[in-house]
Amino acid sequence: MRRLYLSATLIFWLLVSAFWAGSVWLPRRDGGVADAPERVISTAELARHALAEDCWMAIRGQVHDLGAYLPEHPSRPDVVLPWCGKEATEAYETKTRGRRHSAAADAMLASYRIGILAADKP
Amino acid sequence: MFLFRRLSIPLIVLAATAGPVYWAFPEGLSAARSVGIVLGWAGCGLLLASLLLMLRETGLACRLGGLERMYRWHHHVGMAAYVLLLTHPLALAADAWPGATLLAWQTLSPFSQGPPVWLGWLSLLLLMLGLATTFATRIPYRSWRWLHLSLGIGVLLGLWHLLQLGIEEPVLPILALAALFLGWRLIGEDSGLAARPYLVQSATPVADEMVEITLKPLAEPIAVKAGQFVLVAFFAGPTFRGCGEFHPFTVSAIGLDGHIRIGVKALGDCTRRLQGIEPGVPARVHGAFGTFLAERPAAAQLWLAGGIGITPFLALLRAGPLSQPTTLVYLHRSPADAAFLEEIRVLADGDPQLSLQALATGSAPADLDSLLPAAPALAGIECYLCGPPAMIAAVRQSLRKRGVTPRHIHFENFGFR
Repeated sequence: MRRLYLSATLIFWLLVSAFWAGSVWLPRRDGGVADAPERVISTAELARHALAEDCWMAIRGQVHDLGAYLPEHPSRPDVVLPWCGKEATEAYETKTRGRRHSAAADAMLASYRIGILAADKP
Repeated sequence: MFLFRRLSIPLIVLAATAGPVYWAFPEGLSAARSVGIVLGWAGCGLLLASLLLMLRETGLACRLGGLERMYRWHHHVGMAAYVLLLTHPLALAADAWPGATLLAWQTLSPFSQGPPVWLGWLSLLLLMLGLATTFATRIPYRSWRWLHLSLGIGVLLGLWHLLQLGIEEPVLPILALAALFLGWRLIGEDSGLAARPYLVQSATPVADEMVEITLKPLAEPIAVKAGQFVLVAFFAGPTFRGCGEFHPFTVSAIGLDGHIRIGVKALGDCTRRLQGIEPGVPARVHGAFGTFLAERPAAAQLWLAGGIGITPFLALLRAGPLSQPTTLVYLHRSPADAAFLEEIRVLADGDPQLSLQALATGSAPADLDSLLPAAPALAGIECYLCGPPAMIAAVRQSLRKRGVTPRHIHFENFGFR
């Protein structure tokens, strides 16, 4: 058991170090804002994408297509799904009893951006 | 009944693991993420089972095949949970690997995540620390016990990590059960609330660094049989400085009036202090536990005792004449270490079924080849061993070489760390 503990712990830290080293030295395709064309999306169009598999959300004036990401979101679906097709800045900023999402989540969100939310006019 | 006891712990472990995994089984996710989620829930279930198996309840221990068996499973299940929980964040991060290396690191790194992931990391680090201390047997017991508590805190923080992710069902019931098990262990058992009150009536030196303590019940006495052990905590007396922590002691005699006697060898800080205990010291007793000499068949028997390991056999001899032909081999270092030897000689003289072989071995290991009967003489014999772990391991090996199957070799470990 002692040997198993030492081996498992050592391998764990080696793999954590490998993930860190990979993020620093390996070429990557992530980390940047998607090159979406500057598309203006009305609230009416936004509202048409309110399903789990076709989920758009407006956050801080930017519209994001989160359909592909939702299955990977750590929370249970009924926490997130009600915000599909809606302006969800408040929900995004106040997750888990008032705490905002992390910087990593912000970076990830940016990669799903598809346009900006039109001001007021449907 | 035997089969139920054998299967009880595996079934509990299986149910505790399969339940949350079934509830949270992912659909439509990538393979790495699915594996990460399943491993996390399986680890969570195993930790819950491990907490249940650390409880020192007589009824529970009886149903689950004994405290020693529970502790063996507690260690294995806890270790399995640890390995699965280490793999959990790695598998989640591997989901983005190797295409999105930065995203993979951000998924894993506490520096780019919020409170839910911080709690997950803190929980893992506490499990890591707690398990490291589990293997550090040189740490004094009292410090070790407090460091070991970090495992319990790690479990609670891990469940809080799930709550922070917005997963309340089935985390809340699991959290309630984990808190119940930990609370019961700390308040009911470690603090002695659920233990029976006793008073030290006498303490008699019986060998070098060994004393026999007689305990008188102050309320309803525990139910105990010869061969069983109890967990006893001794508190401050008129001049005695108490230990206050529970240690296992084998019962060496059981009185009709509920009195019990235990043999205490100076093996650590507390047991060394107990050599100078005085009448009137309050104590609390949990138990009794163990099935070492229970359900003995009518076949002839070989008992092999090393040092303090004589106490369970002594309790049985003191209870009355034997009904099976029995050979008792009593190994001790020197005549000064041979606790109860004169009394056992008298008992052997008065019991035609008992034959006694007492041998002073010095500090060298006993020569088992010349000591143990040859293979033909061991056929059909039930062997009962009690003594230091090294002696038990050596005797088991010698008996196996002589053709005695494990089914006929009975022993108990008293490793409660």
